[in-house]
Amino acid sequence: MPKHIVRLFLLVAVLAVAALTAKQFFTDRSYYAYGHYRGDSVAEIASDIPRFRGNEYCKSCHARQYAAWSESLHNNPAAGKHVKCEVCHGPVGQHPSRERAPLSLDERIALGGKAQAPAPGDTTAEGKLPVPKDRTKCIQCHEAMPGRPAAQRQVVLAAHAGTEQCTACHDPHSPKINFAALAPPPKGDAVAGKTVAATCAACHGPAGASVNPAWPNLAGQHAGYLINALQAFKSGARANAMMSGMAAGLSDADMKNVAAYFSQESCKTAGGESAKAVLGKARAASCALCHGPAGVGGNPSWPNLAGQNPDYLSDTLKAFQDGTRNHPVMTSVAKTLSASDIDNLTAYYASARCK
Amino acid sequence: MSQQDKKVESKESKLVRRNFLKMLGIGTACAGALVGTGSLVAKAQGTESATAVPPPKIPDYDWNKHKWAFGVDATRCIGCLRCVEACKAENGVTQDAHHFRTWVERYVYLEGEERAHVDSQSDAQNIAASGSEKEFRFDNRYKDAKVEKAFFVPKLCNHCTHPACVQVCPTGATYQTKDGVVLIDHSYCIGCQYCVQACPYGVREFNHVMGVTDKCTWCYHRITKGLQPACVEVCPVEARVFGDRNDPQSPISAFLRNNRVSVLKPETGNAPNVFYVGIDKEVS
Repeated sequence: MPKHIVRLFLLVAVLAVAALTAKQFFTDRSYYAYGHYRGDSVAEIASDIPRFRGNEYCKSCHARQYAAWSESLHNNPAAGKHVKCEVCHGPVGQHPSRERAPLSLDERIALGGKAQAPAPGDTTAEGKLPVPKDRTKCIQCHEAMPGRPAAQRQVVLAAHAGTEQCTACHDPHSPKINFAALAPPPKGDAVAGKTVAATCAACHGPAGASVNPAWPNLAGQHAGYLINALQAFKSGARANAMMSGMAAGLSDADMKNVAAYFSQESCKTAGGESAKAVLGKARAASCALCHGPAGVGGNPSWPNLAGQNPDYLSDTLKAFQDGTRNHPVMTSVAKTLSASDIDNLTAYYASARCK
Repeated sequence: MSQQDKKVESKESKLVRRNFLKMLGIGTACAGALVGTGSLVAKAQGTESATAVPPPKIPDYDWNKHKWAFGVDATRCIGCLRCVEACKAENGVTQDAHHFRTWVERYVYLEGEERAHVDSQSDAQNIAASGSEKEFRFDNRYKDAKVEKAFFVPKLCNHCTHPACVQVCPTGATYQTKDGVVLIDHSYCIGCQYCVQACPYGVREFNHVMGVTDKCTWCYHRITKGLQPACVEVCPVEARVFGDRNDPQSPISAFLRNNRVSVLKPETGNAPNVFYVGIDKEVS
């Protein structure tokens, strides 16, 4: 064989050996463990930390919201509806913040031992999840739209709510308004109620016209609302130094009777600044859905506002704002009001005719 | 130095070169033999333990015991797009209107028209309706139209039994796991995008920041921990179903038993593992 051919073979052999040797060094040890890929990458991908952590995780702290939700239409497995916490609030991720509740060692091992940096703009980085306030969240599922199955509850927004926010009437955790609870209460005996009302007269006046503008007028108020209020004071759902004690001494029959008495008394309009009342009237559109067009004649479980003492009304709204009084609807509505809104609204309702 | 001396020296140096080449040849042969036997031994060991190769080190999980599959009931989908946003949050998908691991299409047949109008959440009008490329919703453009039929179709990687994308990958960066999931090893992906072209369903997207291909993993990091994929977890109407076909009690087994299902583009021979209920033949 000619020398140059031998040299060529040698050269090829050298290159082949070099390539094979290099391959030994550069191929990942787990390559071909299971096939034509890097076997270790399977476990690497599986070790990512889940960000959606499920309802049970939320339940451990937010038991009240969880309880309300679990009884609601938003949790209806029979109908195949599961609007879980993270559907509206987004992924839990590391919420609450790692400083407040860092993962335990076991937890981290269970999660694959890999720390996950929060994504940019991630609200969970500050330990808080978004609480959607405006109605865009609700209409993602509930706006009437061709293509949505008939079984899905849908509304034509303009007709259903105008420009109102959904939370004005619906509690997102338990969206169905419980109309059964809003049925007119059993009628009490106004005559019997008058004797009970004697104990109320010192503050609320003998005929339900309050002696102090900070206390509510009761005359002409819905009996249903008055009963609910007394029961709330008795059960402790509402707290008031004076009223809690007063209500504690009343039986259910007493409550019905005294409510019947005050509701049939004729009311007096407290009166308010007319300039503010004009501004308040414009803002009152959102109240009208529940409290009646002019603050009278809404649902009997909700109070009439017309003619009420302005000081009492503004104290009440502020109590909803700071959480000293709670109501699924009013708490969120009150938080949309500014101080001047409250001034104007209370002036409007105080001067509105109560009959 | 004389002429003769020079000749002698050149003869000597030739001898040296010859010796060197001989040595090189012998050395190469030896090294070759060494590496050759080495790799043969390694291969022999490999085949010996092929059946005994332990499954990937995933805590409390054996991929030989599962066979994952996915179901989509288009008759239940309300087009809320919670799945799309959840997927992006869970998997860190690029936050814009061009990168999706899963998406939802809307098919609308107007009265008197043969063909469907199709749009998805990345459509410009829908982005305008959501007001941001980080949130998604369908606009209500058909609310006053005479709609004969309309429905939403969630789409995602089909995790095919015979995946074309895996076949074309030149580096072994994309592969099929034993439990039936097609994954991408980002550290081996060279960004050639052959797989993007090979996929008949268009489920692969290219991550321009990392320079690698990306796609749905059925949330492999979740399902190997006993969780549902993020899109299934957040679906409020059970339009998405996921589970283990090896378990007759799993949601997907019930879904396949109780429904007449179809797959997208069966003619391509990829044998998808995402099964649909309630879609027209126009959906592909």
